[in-house]
Amino acid sequence: MTYIVKTNHLTKVFGGKEVVSAVNMHVKKGEIYGFLGPNGAGKTTVMKMLTNLTKPTSGDIEIFGEKLTNHSYEVLKRMGTIIEYPIFYEKLTARETLELHCEYMGYYDKAEIEHILDLVKLTNTDGKRVKDFSLGMKQRLGIGRAIITKPELLILDEPINGLDPVGIKEIRELFKMLCKEYGITIIVSSHILAEIEQLADTIGVINNGRLITEISMDNVNRSQTDYIEVVVNDGKKAAFIIESKLNITNFKLIDNGCIRIYDSSVSQNIISRTLIEHDIEIEGISKKTNSLEDYFMKLINGGVVNA
Amino acid sequence: MLNLMRLEMKKYKLGSYVRGAIIANFIILGFLLFISLISKIEGEVELENYDMALTIIDSFVRATFIIFAATLIAKLIIGEYKNKTITTLFMYPINRKKLIVAKLAIVILFTFCSIIISNILITTIFSFISVTYQLIPDTLTSALIMQQIPSMLMHAIAASGMALIPLYFGMRKFSITTTIISSLFIVMIVSSNSGDFSLNDIIVIPISLALIGISVAYLAIRNIEKMDV
Repeated sequence: MTYIVKTNHLTKVFGGKEVVSAVNMHVKKGEIYGFLGPNGAGKTTVMKMLTNLTKPTSGDIEIFGEKLTNHSYEVLKRMGTIIEYPIFYEKLTARETLELHCEYMGYYDKAEIEHILDLVKLTNTDGKRVKDFSLGMKQRLGIGRAIITKPELLILDEPINGLDPVGIKEIRELFKMLCKEYGITIIVSSHILAEIEQLADTIGVINNGRLITEISMDNVNRSQTDYIEVVVNDGKKAAFIIESKLNITNFKLIDNGCIRIYDSSVSQNIISRTLIEHDIEIEGISKKTNSLEDYFMKLINGGVVNA
Repeated sequence: MLNLMRLEMKKYKLGSYVRGAIIANFIILGFLLFISLISKIEGEVELENYDMALTIIDSFVRATFIIFAATLIAKLIIGEYKNKTITTLFMYPINRKKLIVAKLAIVILFTFCSIIISNILITTIFSFISVTYQLIPDTLTSALIMQQIPSMLMHAIAASGMALIPLYFGMRKFSITTTIISSLFIVMIVSSNSGDFSLNDIIVIPISLALIGISVAYLAIRNIEKMDV
């Protein structure tokens, strides 16, 4: 497995307090990695360490297969970043900001500047200094700046802060497009679950500086999908019928009388009819939804990993 | 390095500093002419000879541009930390040391060049006017000018070095005010004239201040790669 980013017991101590403790993070090439955690969980600190702005107290970071050291500068050329909130030289205009950025990055495709301004919808801001931009505009410019050089790795800390719903949707589509068409690996942090849910391939959950779990979205979906719960008098027999007559294998016998069916292709109606036809008494049948939110609330509050 | 310096200048639109320097020159010149003119009218001689006039011009110019240097340091370095733009800057694939050295180089070069150019400019215009209108009861000889040149160069070099001292005070709390006030103290030490004597004339003082300035700059960049920003 190729990991673009790998951390090994990454720890950071600020003033005697561990804000990030022994984080082992694995980001695969070409995926969108959602970094989820409540405020103050250590997301930004981890991201700052990945971009070499903050130096780890212990542990190490591997990016593009190379260990990050104090002198790793070349690696920064392959990254695009927004940390905390985008920071600009406020006296410049959007275009000047991008020009300056390209020069510092050693990227000389001037046509791309127009393209990016168009992409993040900032074409009509000529003569307006960044100082006078709204938070949403700054956020867009920040995203534009991060992606203009077509980096291999994007590190975006709360990129949708301050955007309106339409903007959020556009930016989400943009990230997906960048990931799919350019093969850019994206690490995106957020404390907004729904956002990550719609975007990420893999989720890393961090709380109190600890990476609680790292799980692929597919797995979350599988373990958290809706299911039909049937309570019957004879669980074993019912299970046999479900398997043989309905050809469903994706179900679970919870205890002798309770069966959970995860196969969403079969309707409640068919299940109950089949079971009744085979002389099984149904005491109850219901459709249950276990929301992802519940799952993460449980995870963050209890710190229990059972996914 | 030159490219980095160019980008810094572009980023901060440093052209306005050149304009400021020119304005400062004219103020110094106007002030000197004012003194000479008043003293001629009043009949009290303030500037007895050209040697003294040139020394005073040099003091004024150095004082002005040491403070100018502090404002540059405040803008180029302290301001980057204060406004957190340093996080943007340090995310570029460029050695942090080089980035800071480029900034310091701008400060040093600007200070040095301004002191030299301003000295030449003000001295020339002032001498021209004063010779024409007989403001100073003395004759300006080329020997005197030749004699002044090496000391002016020495002082300019020393001033460029000591202009970096405010960096130390400014970096402690990333305060622009502290940076500029500390430069005022330096100016008070080296550019105050009591009659015919200034601390700057004790050659050890400007030289050691310059060395302190250089060490401050060195300290600022020594650990920069290990620093959290």
